[in-house]
Amino acid sequence: MMIWKLLRQHVSPGQLAGFTLANLFGTAVVLLGLQFYADVSPLLTGGGSFMKKDYLVVSRRVSTLGTLTGTAATFGPHEVDDLAAQPFARSVGAFVPARFKVTAGVSVQGLDFATELFFEAVPDRFVDHRPEGWGFRPEDDTLPIVLPRSYLNLYNFGFARSRRMPQLSEGVMGLLDLRVLVRGRGGSRRLQGRIVGFSDRLNTILVPEDFLRWANRTYGDEADPRPSRLIVEVDNPADDRIARYCKAKGYDTEDGRLDAGKTTWLLKTLTGIVLTVGLLISLLSFYLLLLSVFLLLQKNLAKLETLLLIGYSPAQVARPYQLLAAGLGAVSLVAAAAVAAAVRAVWLDTLQGVFPALAAGSVLPAAGAGVALYALVSALAAFLIRRRVDRLF
Amino acid sequence: MKKETAFSIQRIEWRQVSPRVFAGRGDLRSDIWQRQVTFERGRTYLIEAASGTGKSSLCGFVYGCRRDYDGTLLFDGTDIRTLTTARWTCLRRGALAMLFQDLRLFPELTAWENVQLKNRLTGCHTDETLRHWFCRLGIDSLADRPACRLSYGQQQRVAFLRALCQPFDFLFLDEPVSHLDAGNAAAMADLLREEAGRRGAGVVVTSIGHRLELDYDTVFAL
Repeated sequence: MMIWKLLRQHVSPGQLAGFTLANLFGTAVVLLGLQFYADVSPLLTGGGSFMKKDYLVVSRRVSTLGTLTGTAATFGPHEVDDLAAQPFARSVGAFVPARFKVTAGVSVQGLDFATELFFEAVPDRFVDHRPEGWGFRPEDDTLPIVLPRSYLNLYNFGFARSRRMPQLSEGVMGLLDLRVLVRGRGGSRRLQGRIVGFSDRLNTILVPEDFLRWANRTYGDEADPRPSRLIVEVDNPADDRIARYCKAKGYDTEDGRLDAGKTTWLLKTLTGIVLTVGLLISLLSFYLLLLSVFLLLQKNLAKLETLLLIGYSPAQVARPYQLLAAGLGAVSLVAAAAVAAAVRAVWLDTLQGVFPALAAGSVLPAAGAGVALYALVSALAAFLIRRRVDRLF
Repeated sequence: MKKETAFSIQRIEWRQVSPRVFAGRGDLRSDIWQRQVTFERGRTYLIEAASGTGKSSLCGFVYGCRRDYDGTLLFDGTDIRTLTTARWTCLRRGALAMLFQDLRLFPELTAWENVQLKNRLTGCHTDETLRHWFCRLGIDSLADRPACRLSYGQQQRVAFLRALCQPFDFLFLDEPVSHLDAGNAAAMADLLREEAGRRGAGVVVTSIGHRLELDYDTVFAL
């Protein structure tokens, strides 16, 4: 305590307040950048983890001539291989179409609906978030189905509202009792359809590949039909080689995915810029802190030397300054967290007004980054202060 | 206790030591510089010196705060240039005590706080003992006054008490009585004899004329 009485002389409240404010600002920017990314990126990727790879769906352009002559726009094996050999493609999978008849029925509030449907399948590794129970064996009675999220939106915001039907959440859809009838080649099979998930990536009614191959063999008019659409995993959907290749070959890509990829890329870039700015401000504020503390050390030089001479260790002499730096850092971290929480509440309100189903992203990455930044700054300051005091000895 | 004995000093040896500023001077007539001299624990030495002969340098070398000398300075056979910072800190707490010529008190702390700053570090004496010492040196009424508002002679006594607030094997006093009258110097000498005797410590006093009256075993001319 007596040491502090000695060393607090020349402490400049202005400089330290300057550091605290600058550090608060820098940390708040870093926290906000990370938190915004965590909150918004699920909207773009339609799921939890935002480190997902990017996919494109490629189809052959349907030409008027093809329509007239009845030529199917399908892909041959050498075309698939050629696409897979392109530098931008990581892997290619084929959509397997159903070559049998499908009818599905459902009861909503006592009303029965039935409709003809079609199924498609892609290799399992391309399925968005592979739901639990995904897969099929011929002896199974239930069939897992993934619907495009746009179908649900179409129903909820278009059909259901105009007909005063109840709107359905994704959870409720999962509970629906879907009666699926598969027919072909004189045979038929009843299955219990279960909607296990919604996909943003695949604009089709998706069932497990195992089921489709089995059903095509059993009920289909063609056991191994040629695919009309391909799914391609790419490194970067914004790669312009993709556009040129598709144009040259007369293929169409489903653009939504490209846009989402671009948006994700834009969000990542923006987050990167914000984080850089925040870290830069933090770095400058750290520099300010070090300058203030070193100035303080310089002004108290004679006292520090005397303390060392009468037997105080460098660690004891450095400690008040290290605690000062750590304390101010803690104050600015807490204040920055408060600021970030307040600002986040504003955007969460706005976002949840637009996307009611939006689950708030985890605060862990931002909190972790804040604590890590604080620990880093405090440890570095402690180290540099100690080194400065050691040099006095 | 074990730690303190591990850092005790029985002998301080000077082997051909001379301040670097004297380098190249062939006419050094000194009992210590460029000679082989040993200070033994338990004995009392006086170093008489004219101004500018390196008296404070000698104290600085032996206390580890100055290294600008040639030759070798040994504590019990160990070259003190090899001592680590941690080791020096231990020595300054438990083996070497120093009354600096410029006192090095903290002007904004009171006389009492200046002494306590050291005593709390070492836990050497009770407040009782310290109060008694303040009385013996006639500065008890000044204990709560900031050091900057004391006369130099009063400050010398405060710094002297601070130097006693630790175990020591050697006590160096750099011109301890330059501003003290005979009575106060005698009171200081009494206390010094008691404390050094109790510890069996070596005492090294420097003087430029005004000497602290002790029974010196050896007198050096620097």
